[in-house]
Amino acid sequence: MKKNSSKKEDVAITVKNLHITYRGLKKTSIRAIWTKMGSRIERFHALKGISFEVEKGKILGIIGKNGSGKSTMLRAIAGIFSPDKGSIDLHGNTISLLSIGVGFNKKLTGKENIYLSGMLLGFSEEEIKEKEKEIIAFADIGDFMDKPVKTYSSGMYSKLAFAITAILETDIMLIDEVLSVGDAQFKEKSYNKMKELISDENRTVIIVSHNLDTIQELCDEVLWINDGDFMEMGPVEEVIPKYKEFMENMKTTKTS
Amino acid sequence: MKKFINNIKKYYKYAIYSAKAELKSEVADSYLNWLWWIIEPLCFMLIYTFVFGVVFENNEKYFASFVFIGLSAWEFFNRMITGSVKLIINNRDLVTKVYIPKYILLLSKSFTYLFKLGISVLICIVLMLFQHVPFTWTMLLAIPIFVVLYILSFGAGMILMHFGVTLNDLANLTNIGLRMVFYLSGVFFDIKSRLKQHPKLVTLLLKVNPVAFLMSELRSVLLYNRLPNFLILGIWLVIGLLLCMIGVHVIHKNENSYAKVI
Repeated sequence: MKKNSSKKEDVAITVKNLHITYRGLKKTSIRAIWTKMGSRIERFHALKGISFEVEKGKILGIIGKNGSGKSTMLRAIAGIFSPDKGSIDLHGNTISLLSIGVGFNKKLTGKENIYLSGMLLGFSEEEIKEKEKEIIAFADIGDFMDKPVKTYSSGMYSKLAFAITAILETDIMLIDEVLSVGDAQFKEKSYNKMKELISDENRTVIIVSHNLDTIQELCDEVLWINDGDFMEMGPVEEVIPKYKEFMENMKTTKTS
Repeated sequence: MKKFINNIKKYYKYAIYSAKAELKSEVADSYLNWLWWIIEPLCFMLIYTFVFGVVFENNEKYFASFVFIGLSAWEFFNRMITGSVKLIINNRDLVTKVYIPKYILLLSKSFTYLFKLGISVLICIVLMLFQHVPFTWTMLLAIPIFVVLYILSFGAGMILMHFGVTLNDLANLTNIGLRMVFYLSGVFFDIKSRLKQHPKLVTLLLKVNPVAFLMSELRSVLLYNRLPNFLILGIWLVIGLLLCMIGVHVIHKNENSYAKVI
């Protein structure tokens, strides 16, 4: 084991034969159990055996049509879902799924929410304290920092939320659709910050997006999945044209 | 089990912080603020003492304290059970966006309830002083009884929390169950003396219903300077620990599927 990991020091994420099925835990009521005793449980195979590796510092884009399992994969890597089969190895890196306003309590002030959200993302109180000023400066919402979050406008809310996730950095970042929030000025600022975060040499990033331009602009490599199956993985210039062609074909076969 | 301990170590700070945050937000915009934590239990105690002491002519010794002890223990148990059923669904945002061991949510909730229980206990001490209840060393035995109560309700809470995810109407069922336990626990009457004519029922109630048993033992040590039944207390402790182990196991096995359901 040890030998293996030292040899592959530069690998940040290893996904092996990943299977995920949605099943078993289906919403039900007591009456339904009574009437449907013994009926078979539906299964939905979201990911069917996907394997890949991401090198440290690389930016991977995941593409595929709607419902092909992209978000499921991100959540699995983030540890929100457990794989039904296969394994995900993060080689000891810290990870976060970039999502906005996790665990916010709207009755508390912005400052308190920084701690709440930060601790939830796995940071210690001291680490957050160190970064607190930076977050406050980046969010740039002035005196509202000491007011309850429920008094915020939706723009201020997303500014604060973005600042927390952007400043509290992890080794691996997972991004489900590139975010740009707030007013025009903050949008630019957040997009630039995002780019800065993504292009950091030590950070491994996985981006899921429908916007091929974003992928082309930001990513080094692309993983293409279709209906839970692995299609291709490789440099952006190679995979994206093939994907485009595939989607065109789909359109024509559907319409004819 | 090892995973459980590691997770607790890793997340207990978050649990405490989020419990504090919740308590703070609970009183943030009410006029009397944290005073409600004291006013509410006091008023309930007065109501029950009036109804069952005066209207139903109960002449238990130290009746107000008697009711208050029962009420405090009951409220804690009741909150734990009701709170856990919908816990995952109420935290949908959290559960679908980050990984957190799900019992940490319950742990955090339980801290807020423990805090309220603490306030109740303080009020209770004042009340006992007021009623000239003699203070003795036996009273310290209330602590292990509370511990057993906590472990039992935490274990039961974890299991209910799991089934609450998939069973929509579990809340209705637990409500009925809790109401039944409420009336069968002797919050405002002494099971032993009230049901004198049905001694079998008394032993059954006190043996099968942990809340009734723990409540009556709490009163024994706090009011009447009597020792609790250590054997039965021990049995409930073991059952509570078993429930916790089952709960932890069930949650570890299923928690990563919750996000797919809610």
